[in-house]
Order: sequence, then structure tokens, then C-alpha cells
Amino acid sequence: MKLNIINIFRKTKSHPIEYDPSKDDFRWLHDFLTELGGLSRFTIQFFRELFRQPYEHKELVRQSYKIGLSTLPLIGITAFIMGLVLTLQSKPIMTEFGAESWLPGMVAVSIVREIGPVITALICAGKIGSGIGAELGSMRVTEQIDAMEVSGTNPMKYLVVTRVLATTFMIPILVLYADLISFYGSYIAVNLQDFVSLPLFVNLAFDPLHYYDLIPATIKTFFFGFAIGIIGCYKGYYSENGTEGVGKAANSAVVISSLVIFIMDLIAVQLAELFNIFN
Amino acid sequence: MGTEENISSFYNNENVIEISHLKKSFDTNLVLKDISMTVKKGENVVVLGKSGIGKSVLIKCIVRLIQPDEGSIKVFGEEVTTMKPNELNELRTKIGFIFQGNALYDSMTVRENLEFPLRRNKVIKDPKLIDELIHEALENVGLLDTMDKMPAELSGGMKKRIGLARTLILRPEIILYDEPTTGLDPLTSREISNLIVEIQTKYKASSIVITHDLNCAKITSNRMLILQDGVFIAKGTFNELKNSENDWVKSYFKIE
Repeated sequence: MKLNIINIFRKTKSHPIEYDPSKDDFRWLHDFLTELGGLSRFTIQFFRELFRQPYEHKELVRQSYKIGLSTLPLIGITAFIMGLVLTLQSKPIMTEFGAESWLPGMVAVSIVREIGPVITALICAGKIGSGIGAELGSMRVTEQIDAMEVSGTNPMKYLVVTRVLATTFMIPILVLYADLISFYGSYIAVNLQDFVSLPLFVNLAFDPLHYYDLIPATIKTFFFGFAIGIIGCYKGYYSENGTEGVGKAANSAVVISSLVIFIMDLIAVQLAELFNIFN
Repeated sequence: MGTEENISSFYNNENVIEISHLKKSFDTNLVLKDISMTVKKGENVVVLGKSGIGKSVLIKCIVRLIQPDEGSIKVFGEEVTTMKPNELNELRTKIGFIFQGNALYDSMTVRENLEFPLRRNKVIKDPKLIDELIHEALENVGLLDTMDKMPAELSGGMKKRIGLARTLILRPEIILYDEPTTGLDPLTSREISNLIVEIQTKYKASSIVITHDLNCAKITSNRMLILQDGVFIAKGTFNELKNSENDWVKSYFKIE
């Protein structure tokens, strides 16, 4: 590493104008910064178009419906299994400590604070993010975006703003839906061996939950949704090199947005700690 | 080349497109070195050249899908290179662009493809009137029965025709054709070329046809320009260029 730094220093010092990033030992850094710059510029452009008329209400409703409805079954099944497994796995330990009655509450807090938002956002990154990346990528390489532009329609507004708004507002709804289904999965798991009535389970689950569990967790899901939408659109919108590029766009949309979701979650937890929200 | 005599009466001396000293490069590759040309009202100008030589870049610069590095492009007397986005959008509604790969919106039916530019640019609310315009556009290209089909269900030639219908529905004053006969069989190529001439006759539209297909050039051109190494190396009618003494020009016509 030390040698590389010396080499790059020598290269830039002796040939400052002929600097070629492709021969650079730190090319990954160059690529990362280029990508970050591109994504930042794209985000600024998104906000600029967001407040400019005309507003694409119809397309926004269509995209929200498409994104929400298409993901419901997948989210539902995953959330149900998530609640079921979490309860089954935690039960022996809770029983060992004589805290079996706290099981619904513990599962509820885990799901509402962390597991529900993060797992749902990751599933959406896989399904919705890749879908947007592939759709816009294919539109780019088949010149459909250019066709839209030359017919006097602003594709940034029609394609990007609507999709990003749809993911931003649909992901929180999907997370709430996933939370509820997970509770139901947990209720089924509890009743596999014992009998706990639904009202009692709801009581036990919701008792330790407070508004400071739900509100920060819901706020961060808006950011997750925004990240999924903007990254999917960015990768698709600037896709190139034909069908290979479309595949790459879809793939990197999932990888980058999943990574960003974890980073955002980490920041959200740190902020909550900083402002003492959970205590 | 009967078309030239038949059509020459439609165009006059008014320039609708004026390009001067246009330059465009991609990284270190200088694609367009010094391009100057004009298109008169009602005229079909064919730009002939080998693949990958920058023909499509030229027409994409006219609608500013690509921003040129240097030079001036005037459409209807207005400078395109420095236009504001809203002015550019307004100008674009007067220009039709036929893409090489048709660029039909594949998530929409043929009807929706035609409706899209109409609803967004003409602010026509009356569904009856929209229906009439769609019918007329599809009738013009002889594909009325494809209205409810998806683009994936159409053949290459049909897609080209629908692309033309989508462009014509906005009644453009200028049409830019990017390789209109590429990937089509000789018979369909001829049909599309004849359709381009019919459109010129019927709508009095000015056109730039980008092609490397000599038969298409022969049928559609009033005037031709040959692009080589980023500059026009020859200008003239099809017959003038065919009898040219220039070696480069001769090489294009040898294969005819």
C-alpha cells in the first residue's frame, strides 16, 4: 500500500496533465467518487423537477399501485415467516429465564424497531429496485427515453419523479403491513404449543410498545423508500452497453440500495441514541 | 429518379434547418469535424455514410439529444444549442424523430403509443377527437387493425410504420429519420421508402434521412450529402453523385 501511494505521488508529480485513472492503483476510489457525484447530481435534479409543473398525478398513482400491489404477496409471506421463526427461536430462551409472558412484547419491539423496516426494505430493494433499474435501463438502450424527450415530454419528471415518490410513500405502508403480518405469525407460533387468546396476545405485544418505537422506525422507512427509488432510477436512467448494461443496472441497483439501507439504519440508530429517543 | 422532379415543386428557398461548423467529439474521438448544411422547406435531404461515422449523432444534435461541442444549429431561425429547456420542448413538438430501433413504448399498446404524444402536447381532451386522429394516423400507414396490439406482437416493418404514425400524429414540420430501412427485407424497405415520399407529398414536411441504404436514398432524396471522416465529402442529387469522379463517392455507388 505504501509503495502504491509513492507510485501515485510520483505519477501525478511527474505527469500532472497526463493523469490516467485507468492506470491508477486507486481506481476504485475514482470510480466510487464518480458514482457518488453522479448520484448526487441526479438527486439534485430530482428535487428540481419535483416542484416544477406539470405534476404527473396519474403516473404517480399508477406507479404507487403497481409498486404496492406487486410486492404485497412477497412481503406478506416473508413477514409471516419472520414473525413465526423469531417467536419459535426466542421461546426456549425466554422460557429458561421465566419470562415467557414477555415473548410477544419482545417480538413486537424487535419487529417494529428493526426487523420489520430493514427486512421489508431489503425485499423491496430486491424486487422494486431491480424492477425499476431494469425497466428504465431497457427504455434507455431501446431509445424510448430519447423518444419521450424529443416528443416534448420531460422523462426525468415522468419516469423518475413518479417512481421515486411512489417508493418513498409506499415502502412505509408496506412496512406497517409487514409488521402486522409478523404479529400474526408470532401469534400463530405462540399458539402452536400453548393457548393464548388473540386479545391477550395483542395486549402483551402492544404493552411495551411506545410511540418512540414506532415513529423513528417509520420515519427511517421513508428514507429507505427514497434510496430504493433514486438508486434504481439512477442506475437504469444512465444504463448503457445494450442488454448487458440493463442486467448490470438492475444488479447494481439492488446491491447499492441494500448497502445504503444498512448504512441509513446504522445512522438512524445512532441518531436515536444521540437524542435519547429509546430511553 | 422520378421522385426528384415530382417533389421539387413542393419545396421553396426558405431554410428550415441551418447547420454551420458543427463539431462533436466523444472523449478523444472527433466524430463531427466541421459540418455545415441546410434543409429547405419541403425538401428531403439524405445523409449517406458508412455505419458508425456519426450520421445519427448529427440528427441527435439537431434536437439536442446530444449537445454539440462547437458550431451553430438553427431550426426555423432559432438557435438550438443555447435554447432554454421549455423553448426546446416547444420546438421539439414541431420536429418528428424516427428512431433506428423504432423506440415504441413497449409497456403500452399501439393506441396508447399514439395517444401519449397527443395527450401530452396537444392538450386535446375530447376522446372522440383523439380517436379520430389515431384512426387517421394508423390508416395513413395502413395498420388500422393493430390498434390494440402490443409492440412485441408486431413485425419489424409494422413497428417502423407505427413509429411513423406516432410521429405524424403531431403533424411535425420537420421529420428526422434515423436509418428507416435498417433490418428490413428489400420489399419492406421499399414500402417504407415510398411511405417517406408519400408523407413528404401529403404533409409538405422537410426531412433529413440518415441511411446507408442506396435504394432508400434513391427513392427518398431530393438532395444527398455524403459523410466521411467527420465532414461532407460530396453534395448533389442522386444522379449527380452517381456519376461523380470522386473515388470515395464512387465506392459508395459501386455496390448498387
